[in-house]
Amino acid sequence: MDYKATARRLLKEPLVHFLIAGAMVFWLLSGRAPDLGERRIVVNEAVAGALAQRFYDSFRRMPSQDELDGLIRDYVTDQVYYREALRLGLDQDDEVVVRRMRRKMESLAVADAEAATPGDGELQAMIDKDPARYAEDPHTSFDQVYLGADTPENRIQADAKLALLRAGKPASGVPAPLPGQLTKASANDISGMFGDEFTLALRRLQPGQWQGPIASGLGLHLVRITAREASAKPSLATVRQRVENDWRAAAVAKAQSESYARILKGYDVAIELTK
Amino acid sequence: MRKAIALTVVLLGSTALLSGCDKVKQVVTGKTEIANTAYPEKVYWGDTHLHTSNSPDAFGFGTRLDPVQALRFARGEEVTSSTGQKAKLARPLDFLVISDHSDGFATIKDLYEAPRAMITEPMLLRWYDMLHEGPEGSMRATAELIDAKANNRLPAAITNPAGAEQRLRNNWLAHIAAVEDYNEPGKFTAFIGFEYTLMDEGRNLHRNVIFRDSGNRAATVLPLASFGTTVPDGLWDYMDSYQAKTGGKVLAIPHNSNMSNGRMFMMTDPSGGPMSAEYARRRAAHEPIVEITQIKGDSEAHPFMSPNDEFAGYGTAGWEIGDLMMVEKTTPEMQPGSYVREALKRGLLIEQRTGANPYQFGVIGSTDSHTSLATADEDNYFGKHSGVEPNPKRATEAQNLGTREGRFGWNYLASGYAGVWATSNSREALFDAMMRKEVFGTTGPRMTLRVFGGWDFKAEDMKGDWVKAGYARGVPMGGTLKSGKGMPSFIISALKDPIGANLDRVQVVKGWVDKNGQAQEKVFDVVWSDMDGKRKLAGGKVPSVGDTVDLAKPSYQNSIGAPDLATVWSDPEFDPSVRAFYYIRVLEIPTPSWVAFDAVRYKLTLDPKIPLKQQERGYTSAIWYNPAG
Repeated sequence: MDYKATARRLLKEPLVHFLIAGAMVFWLLSGRAPDLGERRIVVNEAVAGALAQRFYDSFRRMPSQDELDGLIRDYVTDQVYYREALRLGLDQDDEVVVRRMRRKMESLAVADAEAATPGDGELQAMIDKDPARYAEDPHTSFDQVYLGADTPENRIQADAKLALLRAGKPASGVPAPLPGQLTKASANDISGMFGDEFTLALRRLQPGQWQGPIASGLGLHLVRITAREASAKPSLATVRQRVENDWRAAAVAKAQSESYARILKGYDVAIELTK
Repeated sequence: MRKAIALTVVLLGSTALLSGCDKVKQVVTGKTEIANTAYPEKVYWGDTHLHTSNSPDAFGFGTRLDPVQALRFARGEEVTSSTGQKAKLARPLDFLVISDHSDGFATIKDLYEAPRAMITEPMLLRWYDMLHEGPEGSMRATAELIDAKANNRLPAAITNPAGAEQRLRNNWLAHIAAVEDYNEPGKFTAFIGFEYTLMDEGRNLHRNVIFRDSGNRAATVLPLASFGTTVPDGLWDYMDSYQAKTGGKVLAIPHNSNMSNGRMFMMTDPSGGPMSAEYARRRAAHEPIVEITQIKGDSEAHPFMSPNDEFAGYGTAGWEIGDLMMVEKTTPEMQPGSYVREALKRGLLIEQRTGANPYQFGVIGSTDSHTSLATADEDNYFGKHSGVEPNPKRATEAQNLGTREGRFGWNYLASGYAGVWATSNSREALFDAMMRKEVFGTTGPRMTLRVFGGWDFKAEDMKGDWVKAGYARGVPMGGTLKSGKGMPSFIISALKDPIGANLDRVQVVKGWVDKNGQAQEKVFDVVWSDMDGKRKLAGGKVPSVGDTVDLAKPSYQNSIGAPDLATVWSDPEFDPSVRAFYYIRVLEIPTPSWVAFDAVRYKLTLDPKIPLKQQERGYTSAIWYNPAG
């Protein structure tokens, strides 16, 4: 069998070209394949310019000729060691190198997202998807009388005071640094002052009449809702900054996880552990 | 291989791009109109002291969360911490000051990201390699860095502002842009600020600097570095010049006086000469408030000066033994200049001599967290820095800042927050409230404290609109009593944290200068839970509130204490001829500390000498009385 002829024929096949090219790429990417170019270190205008620029970025002046010579010497030394170290496989299993490369890959992955500016359409879509997040909180205006701790005695007192209030007479509570009248308070304001439990209880009350006692994280209250305003539909103009902040935070997180997922697809991870 | 080199070039290129100023946007000045109430009706809660990855030590200790993540977290969003743990506040904060160290602002982050070949300075190269070694190396590098800073041995590449100015400017503008993005008047206030990390050898003289203004003004200056100086005068010059140049406003908040070895609140000026009225006035004008409690201990009072105060000495263990860096051990005569109560007394003494009080300041609490996470709740404590985010060893393992000499993980406090009585949630209203000292500090719980001082307050006043009466006929916390007849009287009202523990008692801490020119103090229990029932005075003493802590869970019951405590109190020992101050201290019932939560979470067996319970507390700014009116 004329294997030389076969080889010649094969070398004309596009499929074989493809396979050889693939093998070469594999070989290059493996990081251990010396080729002729690797043994040649060129310092040209572009390299020297970049070195000088980096010097300028650090020291705000251009390097002197001596300093530039020093930078070039360092560059060559770096390259010699760097390439030789790669050739010897010293980058393998080196935690510092591994972490550094990972950090660079991650930075690259999010650079675009960090610098990007979203369009109005994108932001509006975010509002439409979760209008409650961006809506002005529903506002509640109410009067409250604080009766102190939730005890059986105070509950009895509450009934008597409620009757007074309903008859249009004044009834005082116990002194506390709490407003008796809240105007257009948001759910967040109310929870901050009284706790979540109270905010939820208020939602169930009808406006107009004194009611209670209502329990909060502070004790008991008599409450009269005076006004309630449903949340206005959020407009992009008023909440743009907040939506844009969310958009950017999400875009960065997404870019990072997507980029990882994409790269991960090319790998076969086998966890060979016995439990 | 060519591919590898090409890739490196691409990567370096984009790193340079990332660290550039392309993220800085046009600063938008506040368009939103925020309505201010006629007088402060509401407490706004915040942290004036938080570090992010821009702080060199925070970065070195492993913090990777940047200002944006810090702001999102403070607003109540869930974030992933630097150690990969989910983190969320039980309740959002109303405001935040990111106070990254101006000394080496973002330097360690930049150093870490820099191409190694460009680093010529041997010490930086050493730190660079240690930072990249992994968490342990990074910790060691940071310890060396803090040490070098304390001993003025930092490389010129860090301290030389001329060489680093462009880089600093880019980092500062990027920081401002992030803060501006998250400042939303009416909803959440993000302040522009920095920490001025002033030291005198190892003595802590740190100040946080807060701007009232938006980014377009703050961007006209750079954060001032403290290198090579040991006195605050340079900071005050910087503040004056900023205000003169921009028409803006800026204030400074000293903190961790507890590790100043007596230098924070000196009787003399920094040179050791008698303090002049001019110097005293200058200090008071620039530093209207002081941080009284934080992660690195509590600076209210020390049993050494306050032997009759059974509740003095909260959060002093470990911190009281030396300065911040443990360069110099603390001796008893150093103690008075390190604690807030003593400073208030010293202020009266200096005022008596010169006519001006340098220490007429209000108080706030804040975290000084270096994790980008402003946590001060015991059950959700993320630690001083990212090396001590929740993990089984953090309560007992070695930490920096003098562990060998006796400072341990459990000495750190999950403390504190600032309560601000302001007329709206905006930079302007919150800042103005800080200037007039209508602020208070807590060790974490969001208890509400209100006090008014006047001359004719009676118990009946509390039945009506006493807040209105308080402003009309008296002064709020932080104020000075107008002249009047008789005895000063105080409307005092305290309310528990709506999701926290009941209150044990309310105390008035009075300080004065007696006829012999000696400063004195006394703590009065003025109202406490069950005071007409089981806790009647016994031998002039208030019986203990009890203890419901169950360390096995850990938890506590609100079956003791009271949710609300209020009274009108007059000073029975008032002498109109001597100057005095009065501030309120409120104690919670005993609750488990963060160490107790760690002990349960990680099933730890701890040395019995480690305290697992505490009485958390709040401190108001004082009200002053001056016989001259």
